[in-house]
Amino acid sequence: MMDAVVPATPPPDDPTGTPFTNRAIPIEALPRLDDDAFDSVDPRYLRGWLIVFGVGVVATVLTGVIVAALVEVPAVPLVIAAGVIALLAVTSAYTVVETRRLGYQLREHDVSLRSGVINHRVATIPFARVQHVTVSRSAFERMLGLATVQVNSAGPDIAIPGLDADHADRIKQLVTERAGIDDERTGAAGPGDDPFASPPRPNSAGTGTESLESPQIGR
Amino acid sequence: MIDLAAPQRQSVLAIVFLAVRLIRRLGFTQLALVAFFVIRGAADGRLVLLVTAAAILLGAASTLAWWRYTFRLVGDELVVTKGVVRVERLTIPFDRIQSVSIDQELLHRLTGLVKVMVDTAGSSAAEFTIDAVERPVAEELQRQTLTAGAGRATPRLGSDADGPTAESLGHVVFRHDSQRLLLAALTSPPWTALVVLGPIVAFGSQFGGSVPSIDPGPFRWWWIPILATAFLLLSLVLNLASVLLQHWDLTLRSEPSVLRRTSGLLSRTSRASSPRRVQATSTSQNPLQHRAGLRTVALSSIGDGDLTLIGCDDAQVDVVHRLAGSAPPSLLMLDRRVERDEVWLAVRNASIVAGLISLAAWFAIGWWSLLVLLVVPWRWMTSARHVRTFRWSLDEQFATRSHVIMRFTNQASLHKANGVRITQSIFERRRGLGRVHLDTAAGTVAVGMIPIDDARTVRDVVLHAAETSRRDWM
Repeated sequence: MMDAVVPATPPPDDPTGTPFTNRAIPIEALPRLDDDAFDSVDPRYLRGWLIVFGVGVVATVLTGVIVAALVEVPAVPLVIAAGVIALLAVTSAYTVVETRRLGYQLREHDVSLRSGVINHRVATIPFARVQHVTVSRSAFERMLGLATVQVNSAGPDIAIPGLDADHADRIKQLVTERAGIDDERTGAAGPGDDPFASPPRPNSAGTGTESLESPQIGR
Repeated sequence: MIDLAAPQRQSVLAIVFLAVRLIRRLGFTQLALVAFFVIRGAADGRLVLLVTAAAILLGAASTLAWWRYTFRLVGDELVVTKGVVRVERLTIPFDRIQSVSIDQELLHRLTGLVKVMVDTAGSSAAEFTIDAVERPVAEELQRQTLTAGAGRATPRLGSDADGPTAESLGHVVFRHDSQRLLLAALTSPPWTALVVLGPIVAFGSQFGGSVPSIDPGPFRWWWIPILATAFLLLSLVLNLASVLLQHWDLTLRSEPSVLRRTSGLLSRTSRASSPRRVQATSTSQNPLQHRAGLRTVALSSIGDGDLTLIGCDDAQVDVVHRLAGSAPPSLLMLDRRVERDEVWLAVRNASIVAGLISLAAWFAIGWWSLLVLLVVPWRWMTSARHVRTFRWSLDEQFATRSHVIMRFTNQASLHKANGVRITQSIFERRRGLGRVHLDTAAGTVAVGMIPIDDARTVRDVVLHAAETSRRDWM
């Protein structure tokens, strides 16, 4: 276990005028991201994929049987169909494990995504770094009443698939609001307070004239 | 002072660049086809007439595009108006501008003009380019957009009374003289020679018909030192030419809230970026550079605003890091190590891959294929050395230093983090290890093969810093 301590914050050049203190914060006092407290995606997501695989298996069997009845050597289409079914079985087993592993966690100041079957990944983006949030719904997701939330930063992005559509909208709303609040809270106090501070930072990295009072994240 | 509040138009020479851009948009393939038919049917007067009309049309469109392309500063925004059929008005607040680069290509150099490229975080390439403009206008644009964007007090736009002050002109941090550049060229890796010789060696036989062939006769052992010497001499000459052309008179200036790098012999390039936009810093040093005490420093900014400085000595490396708001590498307390399991993983993976390749190659080249297995002890040596020399630290910066053959340092301030990732392969999971990545908007600093608890602690510390720091990250 590391014995490091967190750099004391706020920094010495805090423009808000808060009395400067420099107490060491023991690392145990830090809020920890609990790797076991992730919310799972909607069960309909897995069910939907399993139905897709099931339909694929049925279609493969039917195609194999029909083609076998029409050709001189029926073993060939049947072997190919068996191979396709085996592939679908492996893919569906992988999808089951992958979906069970897929999870997200929303905290006060960041959003995390847990994913990966062979290589496990936990990615976290602080709200103060969020550039924009999008909710997308593919045809597959529309049929199941699901949606994907994509949280974009100037660095990495996070895409949370298989969310209930209403839930996805609420997450987008929350991230949008929290991003605005955290950006103001951690942003410089503004040019009026500190001549060396930069102007308030908008949340969108593109060009335009958005301001913090009306964050333009979310589309 | 140049009044950039009034709409500015590019130099007339820009018409040429706009025409080239228009041709590019039309597509070189289509134009090559047209040219082919023109040559084939040169006698056909109608075709020549058509081409002449197209050329006149292109000239007219380019001239109109030049006429409609204006830029000016309005308050704290750069406003660009362009377009012939559809007029486009682009408004860029100064604080969104990541870098403003000034390039002087050969044609510009002949005419005393420069090209300006403005880069924002919203695009991976330059947001827009001003093809040809007078240097004072370009420099004033660069100065005003970047100083205002960095939040410093900016001289009033359009005010001629005060003129440039000593502060606004900034100071020279360092300038590489010809002796330093010569040393940098002599210690550079021979990439230029490889780039030039590689295709010749690979495809030389394709030109057998047009190149006079020399019968080499039977192989002689003394060819090896002669060829090696010739390659070294050629690489030295090419390195020298490359370094002198690109980095001649390499100068780093520190201006109010702006770092400006200028260099180049035939084509003079000026690249400016605000220090607070620097997301990560890195240094690299090969064994020759280590003996000469030189390093290459790279400041990674969002978009296209990276600054790369070759041939820096230790003092210059420290100064550049300080100016970029980063801890000097010489002051980093790099005291943490990675686990030795990395050696086992590297050797195991190398054995599997080399074994398979060797097996496949055995059918083609027989026992010679066993030479592929030499990669296994090589991987063992390099990974063991990597584990022995790799160090990392976490305080206000997340920093790493590695040294196998080349020496590298990578560092990023915690408050620049745009995200943190922890990854675990099956191998790492079985041993309770993990890899932590600090992702900034312009690069990643990562450490692998550390206890998973340490990786999680790094993540929590980085998130705490990013979520509580009041310092600007972009």
